[in-house]
Amino acid sequence: MPRSTLSLRRVVELLPDGVTDAALEEMLFSSKAEIERRVGDELELSVTPDRLDLLSEGGLALALQGMFGAASGLPPIRRAHATVRAWSFEVDASVDPMRPCIAGARVRAPAGHPLDAGLLAEAVRFQEILHATVGRERRAMSLGIYPTRRIAPPVRYAVEEIASVRFVPLRGGSEVSGPEFFANDPMAARYGPLGSGGGRCLTLRDAGGRLLSLPPILNSHDAGEAGPGDRELLLEATGTRSRAVREGLRLLLVVFSARGWSVAPIPALRAGSEPADGSPIVAPTEIELPSALLEQIAGTSLERSEVVRMLGRARLGARTVRHGFRVSAPPWRPDLLAPVDLAEEVVLARGVRPEDGVVPSTPTRGRRRAETVFRRRVATLLLGLGLAQPHTPLLVSEASVARLDGAAPIRLRNPVSSEFSHLRDRLLLSHVEVLAHNTRRGYPQRFAEVAPVVVRNPAAESGGETRYHAGTIVAQDSAGFADAAALVEYVLGELDVGAVREPAELPGTIAGRAARARVAGEVVAEMGEVHPRVLAEIGVPVPTAWAELDLTALWPLVARRDTA
Amino acid sequence: MSGVPGDAPERGTPIALSGPERSVLLALRSIGGSPVDEDELARQVGLGIDAVRGSLQRLRSKHLVVVEEEHATSVALTPRGREALAQGLPEHRLLDALRRRGPIAMEDLAALDLEPDERSAAIGILRRRGVLADGVPLRLRDGPIPPPGPLPEELVLRQVENEESDVDPPIVEALERRGLVRTQHRSVKRWSPSDEGRRLALVDEGGTSIGALTPALLSSGTWRERVLRPYDVRAPVPLVGGARPHPYVAWLDEFAEVFLGLGFEEAEGPLLETEFWNNDVLFMPQDHPARSIHDALAVEGIDGHPPPTDLLARVAAAHEGRPLPGEATPIGPGWSASYDPAIAAHPVLRSQTTAVSARFLARRPEPPFRMYSIDRNFRREEVDAQHHLEFQQAEGIVGGEGLTIRHLVGLFRSLAEAIGIRELRIRPSYFPFTEPSIEGYVRHPRLGWMEVFPGGVFRPEVLRPLGIDVPVLAWGVGVTRLAMVALGRNDIRELFADDLDALRGRGE
Repeated sequence: MPRSTLSLRRVVELLPDGVTDAALEEMLFSSKAEIERRVGDELELSVTPDRLDLLSEGGLALALQGMFGAASGLPPIRRAHATVRAWSFEVDASVDPMRPCIAGARVRAPAGHPLDAGLLAEAVRFQEILHATVGRERRAMSLGIYPTRRIAPPVRYAVEEIASVRFVPLRGGSEVSGPEFFANDPMAARYGPLGSGGGRCLTLRDAGGRLLSLPPILNSHDAGEAGPGDRELLLEATGTRSRAVREGLRLLLVVFSARGWSVAPIPALRAGSEPADGSPIVAPTEIELPSALLEQIAGTSLERSEVVRMLGRARLGARTVRHGFRVSAPPWRPDLLAPVDLAEEVVLARGVRPEDGVVPSTPTRGRRRAETVFRRRVATLLLGLGLAQPHTPLLVSEASVARLDGAAPIRLRNPVSSEFSHLRDRLLLSHVEVLAHNTRRGYPQRFAEVAPVVVRNPAAESGGETRYHAGTIVAQDSAGFADAAALVEYVLGELDVGAVREPAELPGTIAGRAARARVAGEVVAEMGEVHPRVLAEIGVPVPTAWAELDLTALWPLVARRDTA
Repeated sequence: MSGVPGDAPERGTPIALSGPERSVLLALRSIGGSPVDEDELARQVGLGIDAVRGSLQRLRSKHLVVVEEEHATSVALTPRGREALAQGLPEHRLLDALRRRGPIAMEDLAALDLEPDERSAAIGILRRRGVLADGVPLRLRDGPIPPPGPLPEELVLRQVENEESDVDPPIVEALERRGLVRTQHRSVKRWSPSDEGRRLALVDEGGTSIGALTPALLSSGTWRERVLRPYDVRAPVPLVGGARPHPYVAWLDEFAEVFLGLGFEEAEGPLLETEFWNNDVLFMPQDHPARSIHDALAVEGIDGHPPPTDLLARVAAAHEGRPLPGEATPIGPGWSASYDPAIAAHPVLRSQTTAVSARFLARRPEPPFRMYSIDRNFRREEVDAQHHLEFQQAEGIVGGEGLTIRHLVGLFRSLAEAIGIRELRIRPSYFPFTEPSIEGYVRHPRLGWMEVFPGGVFRPEVLRPLGIDVPVLAWGVGVTRLAMVALGRNDIRELFADDLDALRGRGE
């Protein structure tokens, strides 16, 4: 879950006086934020992925204001007058192959309360959270924050030759050339590939040619470094996905809106396209919530006034309409997509208590799958033979696969380690590992497991088919092929299935001492003596017999007979 | 029991004795009360000393004899010591020669019948004792000379030869350094029967007794003429391990009973899924972080297939916020991104049993229905005490007219009570496929509040494309964690432990 460390002081200063720690903790339990740790002013929170706004002090305070009853309804989103029509992004088509989407807004401080260090720190911290989450480490979206005082609109978003770029990187000290920056700067090393290619890179420049930033890598020092005292900021988001760009920018707005800053959208203009004025970026989302849907989900009938009150408590604007409610959600709530999302807000604002639970009547009959019952029956048969029962992972190691010559199980494309790198296609791969782990234990060692394997099957929907096997191992002084075959015969006999054994070459077994058992041409079991090379490699000092029944193949035969 | 041959002893403890053990014990009992050493016992029994010692040890392990052990030290002459005693010590012979002949030149020493090493030893000893004057030729110092007769060392050699005990230890040590005597340490064991050994009833076997019964003995019937030797029933025996269900598997089986009791039918799905069933059909956006290569386990070398075309089209419409085919209005705004059908066919290891629920719903079950599935899932995690790539979930869904979030809470309560927990708290949560989403926390007596029941009501974007038009409640219980608590394990890897001794019931 996304997490971050917030300044508790900055949250509490926006809450009514007298909020106790216990009350805060209790309230947070009812929210989608959870306290991970609290040390002094540092409050480490984790949130569910749909409520990233709660990871900003402003966003958390707005939500808590509603929960504590200190404020209700849609938080005021002050719209700045678009006094300077010239503010726009001029988007050059050259950006399209690399990073086509851009959105932005200007935010302006309330009179007498310009940007301070605390708000700047909050914005920068939240910006990084958004980069990591919505932005997918800046691949899908990245944000920029600039003081407007040094920017002459409009701002041009384009691709340029790296060789033509010269600028002073943010907190970089001295001017560098584009090639120097891309060759030496750690930020360029990390994010350069997202905003450059073929000797060219993305740039944002103002009307005077001043470089604002190289999205999504770094701002310039000249135009891109906001600081205490700034009264107006430019917020921009660029990215590869329009939804991520929109979400990122809208979420960042919460930091400023919670402190009374006003917002003005910036249109993005493209040659040959209708101008997009950007207003939806900062406008509340309007969704209708039908009363019937709400009752269906909540499981109770609610007074309309109570619903409006609960939506207000969730910091949503609400008014009644003919069949329900018209709800306004602030821009930083991208989780609210549909009526059902609003129903959740009402349900959660009311609180979900265990005592409200109703046990539905049970007109259904509980039953296991017949095939599972069949597998359990085989497991019981093997247990009855005194075979111990391990429980092994489906994923097996590289070494285990290498040990069994000829084994070719499906391999993971992105294994975490070589210890879990393949999907076993036979239990023998796991059971050789069990033998290897138990060489210091007493012999005889006899065990069996009924468990899944995954085998290649081009006809299966995923290209691999999950099958269930019963694998058995007998490691003792006198173990041999006959023990393996006898186990198979026993189980097949108990299942009343007659099979024909035929010689086979099987991975990890001695040539001439391995066999398959078939019923009507289909393989239902494999068995053999484990090759001494394998035993020597894992340090097993006694002969070892192996048998494996394919229960997925046997089940139709048994089921047919059972229903006949 | 009758007293005929072939029966076990009638009285006393039926302790098995071999022939030599019987003989040794009988001999000890016949000697009476005083302890006997092993040599004496061997003579009496007429067996070799090793056989007697072995029998005594076995009798001792059966608590039938007791032993007193004495540690003794004795000194004996070495061959060189015996020679010195016969000829006189070299220094004695040199002293005698000097007395007899006066000063002796070095080159004349050979005539004294002293070996070269004896000569130098003798000269050194006589010089250290101040008997010889400095320089050559060798001559006696002026002053008192030891009187003729045996030297003190020779007297001690004689005492050693006579096995006398009162010998001068410093002289013995000096002689030992010269290799003339050797000190021997030995322990003497003296044996006598224990009280139990005295009481033990010994069967008059009247001939060779039988140990293991053989098929030949049985088929010939000759066992009737022989005595079946009693065994030591207290002796250690080979380990035998029983087979029992793996504790984790057994626990999961028991947990399934909870669902069965509440009227749930079992379902199952493939472990290697397609992205469609694992994610798309659950309204997980195709760029969701949990679907990335960093979180989901992908496979190489195989290709999957897309789902049936009509279902794919419906799911794509839900993702893109378009009306479902044949409908006029969209279910919702979707994810504002175009849906890529190629991604739908990618194989991926199942990351949530919710995929099983989706497959179950795709079969359009007749409502009301209740389904559960307890099965493996996979996430790309480093393995440590708390995390494993493989983990089990207990998925449950309930569908039917009129079901609400309150019914979900009621089911959480029923499940908690079924596993013996009564305290439950509910808090909001988030899953892309449910709305509302909640989590049930239960209070464990030792561990406090634990998050156990994540669940919610399936979104219309999930249900409608699948053709389900009744509310469906869904949850996935993290049973691996519950099992760890129930089984008292602190390390998730122990659930996959394959220690055969533990599995065979030989202690953990």
